[in-house]
Amino acid sequence: MTITPFTSRGSIRNSMVLGLLMLLFLQAFDLKAQTPEAEKNFAQCRACHNIDGPKLIGPNLKGLTQRHDTAWLLRFIRNSQEVIQSGDPVAVKLFEENNKIPMPPHPDLTDEQIIDIIAYIENGGKVAPEYAAAAPTAEEQSAQDEMLNQMYLQQAERQQQLENLQGDANRNFGTTFYVTIIILLITLFDLFVTKLIKATFVHKVVILISLAIVGEVTYKEAAALGRQQYYQPDQPIWFSHKVHAGQNRIDCLYCHSGAEHSKNATIPSTNVCLNCHNVVRQGKITGTTEIAKIHEAWNSGKPVEWVKIHNLPDHVFFSHAQHVNAGKLDCAECHGPVEDMDVVMQVNDLSMGWCLDCHRKTEVQFAQNDFYKSYEKLHEQLKNGAINKVTADMIGATDCMKCHY
Amino acid sequence: METKYFKSLEEIKLDTRQKDNVPAGDKQFILEMQEEVKQATTASRRDFLKVFGFTVASAAIASSCEQPVRKAIPFLVQPEEMIPGKANYYASTFFDGVDYCPVLVKVRDGRPIKIEGNKLSSMTQGATNARTQASVLGLYDDARYKNPSLKGTGISWEEADKQIVEQLEAVKAKGGKIVILSTTVISPSTKAAISKFLEAYPGEHVQYDVLSSSAMREANQMNFGEAFIPSYNFGKADLIVSFDADFLGSWLSPIEFTKQYSKNRKLTDGQRKMSRHIHFEGNLSVTGSNADKRIQLRPSREKATIASLLIQLRSLNGESVASSVNVSADIKALAEELNNNKGTSLVVAGSNDVDTQLMVNAINQLLGNYGSTIRTDVHLKLRQGDDKAMAKLIDEMNKGQVDALFAWDVNPLYDYPEAAKFNAGLAKVGLKVAMPVYRDETASAFDFICPDNHYLESWNDAEAKTGYFTLAQPAIRPIFTTRAAQESFLKWAGHETDFRTFVQKNWEENIYSQSESFENFTAFWNHKLHDGVYESGASENAVSAFDPTPSMNALGNVKESSSDGIELVVYANVGVGTGKQANNPWLQELPDPISKACWDNYVSISPKLADELGLEDEDIVKVGETGPLPVLIQPGQEYKTIAVALGYGRSNAGVPANGVGQNAFPLIAMSNGHKQFTIADVSLTKLDGTYPVARTQTHHSMEGREIIRETTLESYLENPESGNEVREEIKKHLKTLYPKREFDGFHWGMAIDLSSCTGCNACVVACSAENNVPVVGKEQVRKAREMHWIRIDRYYTGDVDNPEIVRQPVMCQHCDNAPCENVCPVAATTHSNEGLNQMAYNRCIGTRYCNNNCPYKVRRFNFFDYNGADAMKGNLKDPAEMATSLRRLVLNPDVTVRAKGVIEKCSFCVQRIQEKKLVAKTENRQLVDGEVVPACAQACPAEAIVFGNLNDPNSKVSKYFASERNYHLLEELHTLPSVGYLTKVKNTTV
Repeated sequence: MTITPFTSRGSIRNSMVLGLLMLLFLQAFDLKAQTPEAEKNFAQCRACHNIDGPKLIGPNLKGLTQRHDTAWLLRFIRNSQEVIQSGDPVAVKLFEENNKIPMPPHPDLTDEQIIDIIAYIENGGKVAPEYAAAAPTAEEQSAQDEMLNQMYLQQAERQQQLENLQGDANRNFGTTFYVTIIILLITLFDLFVTKLIKATFVHKVVILISLAIVGEVTYKEAAALGRQQYYQPDQPIWFSHKVHAGQNRIDCLYCHSGAEHSKNATIPSTNVCLNCHNVVRQGKITGTTEIAKIHEAWNSGKPVEWVKIHNLPDHVFFSHAQHVNAGKLDCAECHGPVEDMDVVMQVNDLSMGWCLDCHRKTEVQFAQNDFYKSYEKLHEQLKNGAINKVTADMIGATDCMKCHY
Repeated sequence: METKYFKSLEEIKLDTRQKDNVPAGDKQFILEMQEEVKQATTASRRDFLKVFGFTVASAAIASSCEQPVRKAIPFLVQPEEMIPGKANYYASTFFDGVDYCPVLVKVRDGRPIKIEGNKLSSMTQGATNARTQASVLGLYDDARYKNPSLKGTGISWEEADKQIVEQLEAVKAKGGKIVILSTTVISPSTKAAISKFLEAYPGEHVQYDVLSSSAMREANQMNFGEAFIPSYNFGKADLIVSFDADFLGSWLSPIEFTKQYSKNRKLTDGQRKMSRHIHFEGNLSVTGSNADKRIQLRPSREKATIASLLIQLRSLNGESVASSVNVSADIKALAEELNNNKGTSLVVAGSNDVDTQLMVNAINQLLGNYGSTIRTDVHLKLRQGDDKAMAKLIDEMNKGQVDALFAWDVNPLYDYPEAAKFNAGLAKVGLKVAMPVYRDETASAFDFICPDNHYLESWNDAEAKTGYFTLAQPAIRPIFTTRAAQESFLKWAGHETDFRTFVQKNWEENIYSQSESFENFTAFWNHKLHDGVYESGASENAVSAFDPTPSMNALGNVKESSSDGIELVVYANVGVGTGKQANNPWLQELPDPISKACWDNYVSISPKLADELGLEDEDIVKVGETGPLPVLIQPGQEYKTIAVALGYGRSNAGVPANGVGQNAFPLIAMSNGHKQFTIADVSLTKLDGTYPVARTQTHHSMEGREIIRETTLESYLENPESGNEVREEIKKHLKTLYPKREFDGFHWGMAIDLSSCTGCNACVVACSAENNVPVVGKEQVRKAREMHWIRIDRYYTGDVDNPEIVRQPVMCQHCDNAPCENVCPVAATTHSNEGLNQMAYNRCIGTRYCNNNCPYKVRRFNFFDYNGADAMKGNLKDPAEMATSLRRLVLNPDVTVRAKGVIEKCSFCVQRIQEKKLVAKTENRQLVDGEVVPACAQACPAEAIVFGNLNDPNSKVSKYFASERNYHLLEELHTLPSVGYLTKVKNTTV
């Protein structure tokens, strides 16, 4: 979901080159065996399978096509549980040999893509030679530089945004409040007792300004009651989103897989952590101590008790699936630059005004999603130019019973 | 229309009374209210300041406190099929010895929270009833036995197993008698498990039905050479004649019958034919209230009436019989009518008397109904109990011949008429093991209590009719330390297998062979477990040809009854039923469809008899030795027939049930070895004092407006608009200054076919379960504070002594010109762009202006915190223990639990609308008609409720709205409701 940031110059360049090449080749050729796309797709498989080397969660993939025919592989890779439940003896045996850990289904992969991945595996995990990097032309080079520059700017902007956030979070109106009160008191004292300043309009102006400031601060503090903006609690494991989502570029949905299907984004279960941390046992920052806590949870059977950061009142119904899947929103729209945070902070106040603001501004996937065909009048208005876009509130997103029931 | 409708007797009587003579209940209510107001207004200005100051201070303190730390605890290994926050549905089967229903269990984050009908079953086709809907709450019943015990002391399962097996071995060694006493067992695998047990320990299995049909089984034994109950098809019958068979409420398989019955009486989709239903009864039952023609008949005269019908039919068919029974003109006409419907009629009798059933068999045989509306090759297996076997067992127990008794899921100490005799015999039994599901009176008298799982925690299967198999699977792990009874039997017999494996093996060996279309058993099993249903199409071996001799003998024995005393009918109502689920607050608060009373049973008595005996509503009487019971005057009761509901008066069931009503089971008499649910010549003694009964009836009277419109089939066929003529007139007067509101996309609407609604109340319980509707208890219902979002209004028409009954489900009408919305000072209730009348609980400040301005009186106010939603503990009012941490597990997490001081009402199940819209969006497609189904429509066994998008001209609801029969409630007020009603059509013409 999230557009991931790049942290070091070298990795940016490499990725850029690769990405650009991929782009060029994809335009130039049809899908062919062992394409870079297969390499990309294989990244998912790699969490559990080695092609060669030590066995991970699933079996090693070397010699895959000798063991199974392609038709079977296609079925199994698309939905392994379906094959197992149909009573296929090979699949059942495989399932049992691998501690009955199910392989997640991949309904989105096409036959071509799967065959492509298989060819990639057969080739020992390398893309075909014709995809090997060719020297970029001057034109390409300048295009690359242009893009790189833009990315630097974006990166700087994001860093600034995060710093601003930290600044906002640390801002304390307490001092302003008390100083203003003291000024107010002094002014009043002078007005009635000491009378050092003869022109009373000075007093009046100062009192009015002080009262305005006190009022403003009181209002702001009162409005924030029960809200948890800038909430940044310590977690039982020092888990860094910056490392996972930022540097390692793990997709948000890999761990928070519920966000596409359910009202809850879901915190990953311990076994999902172990998909990688079965192998990765040492972190860059914390060494082994923090990762050991996952293994401890796994061995003791007691799941990790994370502190929930984003809380909504019980009378609010919020569905991640609605926003992420149907609304195609980026996670960062509500959660901010999580991939830059070591310790996650609640960036927005999650107030009703904030929700409604967005519901009034956000454009609906009106043309792209067939669901909205039911709104005939709006389609008509779009067609005859009465409106130029459909925002969420136009289809009722500001109604009470869209969120409260 | 000339017919005068009245909601209760008070309404008629009021005309003749003085103006200030308000009915007693209301007056008392008003006085109480005045007292409350007085107390409230004595608060002085100073008190106000105190309270105000305290509120401000506490708010300041509360706000300075830190927010609580909330935890998010993920799974260790997330089950593959489960996504937190998303519900899963599992197919299962509900059978508690009385009601049978294939169901889908909605499981949300590991908790079963709702029961829905399984549409894949061709038997029930997705229908449910109130008790099936309520059964999910039974899972969270805190009163259930939580672990095995011996003489009241908790023991471990290992210890219980060891001691029971030791004692069983001892009994076996001395050749003693071992008996398993259970309800009817319809599960083939359970039967196999029991026979495994009986192989290891030779003994006997006795099945005991609370609502027994043993006389019908015996009659069929005599006529067909086999004791069985045939399967009935009310859907194929054009003429139904029922003699006190409450087939829509309690007789045999009411869920299935309601589906068949209502399908054959629908006039939507261009159907121009409906069945005709003639009902004879003394008590006013749900089924009787739906009949096209209801004839009052004293229970003691029933036999002679059936005999006269048989005689008349025989003479019409050229076979004469000498008998002293007179044939009345009515019966002659009926016989004529039946004779014209040969092969498409159905005659049923609810009586548990062999002679009656023999004659009914002969009638059906004469009419050629066997093979068409009644099938003898497909047996209905829901009632296999034999009253004589039960009586024999009790005799043997009293003689000391029974050495070991296993009472599984039966409660004879409460529901056997001669409970004392059972108790005496029990004292002489050596090994006494009770295996109850719910806490009951019987188990506490047993030494060992080995609690059985709730059905939602168990594996099981069922064969309700020959070849109609269903599976049951657990939706949750056992909450307490209980164990499936079948597993216990297997264990004691030395088979160390869990019941799931046993069921699976049994299916592989015995049921899989009936299927042809599967490669292997695993595929078959997975498929059937997913569907929950397997219909093999198998049939029983042919029974022998009909032998008319026993029926003719029975006919010869019939004499005209000359009894003139008061007669009693005991019956199972649609809520509490036989009392098995009496500890279920939803069922206790469910108003009876006829009397609208809840939280009690009572004596229904005809107005004429009440006048004669000087009885008034809520007077206390004693029936025989049973009482004290309050009296409710019930129009429609036969002059000298009184009725009392079974299932009340539990003494050891748990908090909501204990002490509610009186136990009517001891009133049941035995005749020729069969339990009789009608008793001639009972004594009715008036006692001093009165007893308040909570009724949901008189406090929303609609003051004689055109709210129910009805017609007859004949007039309907002539003019589809008949009965609804007034609509055109009203429409002419509907004028407004404001532009008509337009809805783009969706405009939700609901249509209710008054012809189909039987008043079974399944919708009410379904709504409570879906929407977290609180249970308020008797005292609050007395104050008209019940919270149901949907109610079924019942009106009488015509003669006070023999009225007809019409009924109408009413929920929020979601008016497009809603009176409630204009008066809310804080805009807590507004209109959505999809035509929903929205209610934002958190904005509501409880002025109740909306409630006062609603012409339909569908808004409910939370006078207290009934569900434990409030932070202030003192606000809690929980007489039914609904707010215990265990029962709260049934709450639907997608619906806000309302706190004290807010209004609530039907939301058209907006959470379901939103859910289905989201599914369509993620699948990139338009919403399909019929996809969004509110809980009430889902539960309705008669498909009386249709929901959909009014903007789509092809949707079912649009078609209903376009029908000439459609009208809106109080439409002359120009509220523009989104709920439409179709006129009730009665088939009273022939």
